[in-house]
Amino acid sequence: MKFQALRNLSCHRTLLAGAATVAFVLAAGAGPASAAANCIKGDRKAPYTVGWANIYSVPTWMKQTEGTITAEVEELKKSGLVKDLMITDAQGNAQTQIQQIQSMIDANVDAIIVIAGSSSALDRVISDACDKGIAVVNFDSLVDTDQVTAKINTDSNEWGATAAKWMVDQLGGKGKIIVMNGPAGISVSDDRRKGAQPVLDANPGLEIITETNTEYNAAPAQEAMTSLLFANAEIDGVLSLGGALSAGSVMAFDRQGRGQVPTTGENARQFLELWKEKGLKGWATMQPNWLGALAVYTAVQALEGKDVPAFVKVPLPVIDDTTIDTYLARAGQFPADGYIYSDYDKALFDKLLAQ
Amino acid sequence: MNIAFLSRQNLFFSVQRRRNRGLNGLYIVVGLFLLAYAMLFPGLLGISGFSKFTQNWFPLALVTMAQALLMLNGGISLAIGPLVSLGAVIAATTMGGPLGPIGGLLAVAASGLLVGALIGVIVAQLRLPAIIVTLAGSFIIGGIALIILPRPGGFIPDWLSNLLAGNGPVAFGLLVLLLVCWKLFLATPLGLGIYAVGDNPVGAFRSGVPVDRVRVTAFALSGLLTALVGLFVAAQTGSGDPVIGTPFTLNSIAGAVLGGVGFLGGKGTMRGAICGSLLLSVMINVMFFLGFSPVTQYVAQGLIILAAVAIPELTSQWSRKP
Repeated sequence: MKFQALRNLSCHRTLLAGAATVAFVLAAGAGPASAAANCIKGDRKAPYTVGWANIYSVPTWMKQTEGTITAEVEELKKSGLVKDLMITDAQGNAQTQIQQIQSMIDANVDAIIVIAGSSSALDRVISDACDKGIAVVNFDSLVDTDQVTAKINTDSNEWGATAAKWMVDQLGGKGKIIVMNGPAGISVSDDRRKGAQPVLDANPGLEIITETNTEYNAAPAQEAMTSLLFANAEIDGVLSLGGALSAGSVMAFDRQGRGQVPTTGENARQFLELWKEKGLKGWATMQPNWLGALAVYTAVQALEGKDVPAFVKVPLPVIDDTTIDTYLARAGQFPADGYIYSDYDKALFDKLLAQ
Repeated sequence: MNIAFLSRQNLFFSVQRRRNRGLNGLYIVVGLFLLAYAMLFPGLLGISGFSKFTQNWFPLALVTMAQALLMLNGGISLAIGPLVSLGAVIAATTMGGPLGPIGGLLAVAASGLLVGALIGVIVAQLRLPAIIVTLAGSFIIGGIALIILPRPGGFIPDWLSNLLAGNGPVAFGLLVLLLVCWKLFLATPLGLGIYAVGDNPVGAFRSGVPVDRVRVTAFALSGLLTALVGLFVAAQTGSGDPVIGTPFTLNSIAGAVLGGVGFLGGKGTMRGAICGSLLLSVMINVMFFLGFSPVTQYVAQGLIILAAVAIPELTSQWSRKP
């Protein structure tokens, strides 16, 4: 109901914006070829100052993501589009993040890219930024408001569904599996599990022995799997939904001297290396760290007057036996506890923005 | 009569001086930071810039007051954060319903008073340590907030958001009003009792201070203040979030301690506590405008806090030497 109301509202807004653009084009005689993106007023000129409002900088995934952002900014500096990058870290506190985004507005940055610490708390400050003509691009953890230039993310439901389908294919629709989830109550973990459910329902031959909920780290996952191995003589597959959970599972099987079983996972370097080393049947996808770089690129494109989609859905890159070697060949460039993300370049970004 | 009046004045000022001792360093540090902030961001001196800054500081200032109120009489609360969340979700779920904004405000205030008083009664009557009671309370309150509103959402009327957290200095006005109320409260027997109970509970009891009633009142008022912060945060963000308050617990203690409020009660002032919270808040903005990287910010934050506490201590030691 609320969702519907929101959607109607945004529809309305788009219509109004459309009408305004038409009026502008008619009045000016010859307007720009493409309509400007949301929030953009056209009064900001390159080189731009970009603000990166991080919610928490400590986890490895975040550090790697920030790496792609700074690399992209360096790239854009060379072409004279960006002059400065301001980085804040709210240390997990949504209230601090509001304050820092307010400071970015006060400092009159041209673009703000943000991973939200709360889906609702940032709504007003982000709308304020949008009203000031600042390009706001939100990725990974999204906000509720539509007063942004663009939102960028992968589809967590699809993640769960694709992983479950692969497992069904591997086991021929029959067997006993264990499902490994991230922490309970985290929306990403929730959404991935929900996405897997319809596939599991359609294949009643696949029996779920039990499920685990742990932090997305290898150690707690290994501990949980070790005790499950003692209790269950027959396990045919491990449907693990993210982080380094799969690495923990593979290590538990190895320590107990049990034969490896088909295992899904994420692009954690540890898991990919174990996958190759133990020769197991594996499948993995990822939340690409370059979503950060894409967010910067999108903001600058919007500021340059290009139209960008309000929602950029990034397809999940898949790692399987045919592609794993290309990932492991680059393993040295990534931290040992990090994530080996797929390659990206400007052409890929342009393709994603042309949706 | 003249002499009696004079000595009363002297007593007042000597007490105030004693309470201010050690805070001059903090005042100077906060003053320098505000000056730096105004130089880096001249918009701070405009109505809109001033309003936005004080709005972001306001919730921290209030929870620090709520914490200091307890610490002054020897208590402490680890339930500040969850109670902020509870206030926020009650506001966000009631204001759009039949109760309306006024009813929502009353519901938030009533729940804060009730929760605070309940904790106070348990601490005062059962003689249990406040730290344990509020730790347990924090889980219960946090759980209730999650039951009321499992995911961020709810509704706050736009006019309320714009009134409290728009482009006017309403939040700052409320803070001044609260400080005036605090001064008035301190002039009442119950208010005087807050310091007395914290400083020397046995002495206070023998002098006829209703120790238990003072403790319960302190917890109830602190709960009221904390829940109202939740209402403000909900208005500021335009919605309720069941875990938004969590970091306030530690920050409220940090602000109070930074402001010279002692853990053992009876020591410290409300103005010190408010200055402490102001330092925590302005620090974030100054470091942003100076362009510190996040890693540097972690280090700088620690150094600033350490300096604000250590400098007055060191200067007082030096000045005592012949």
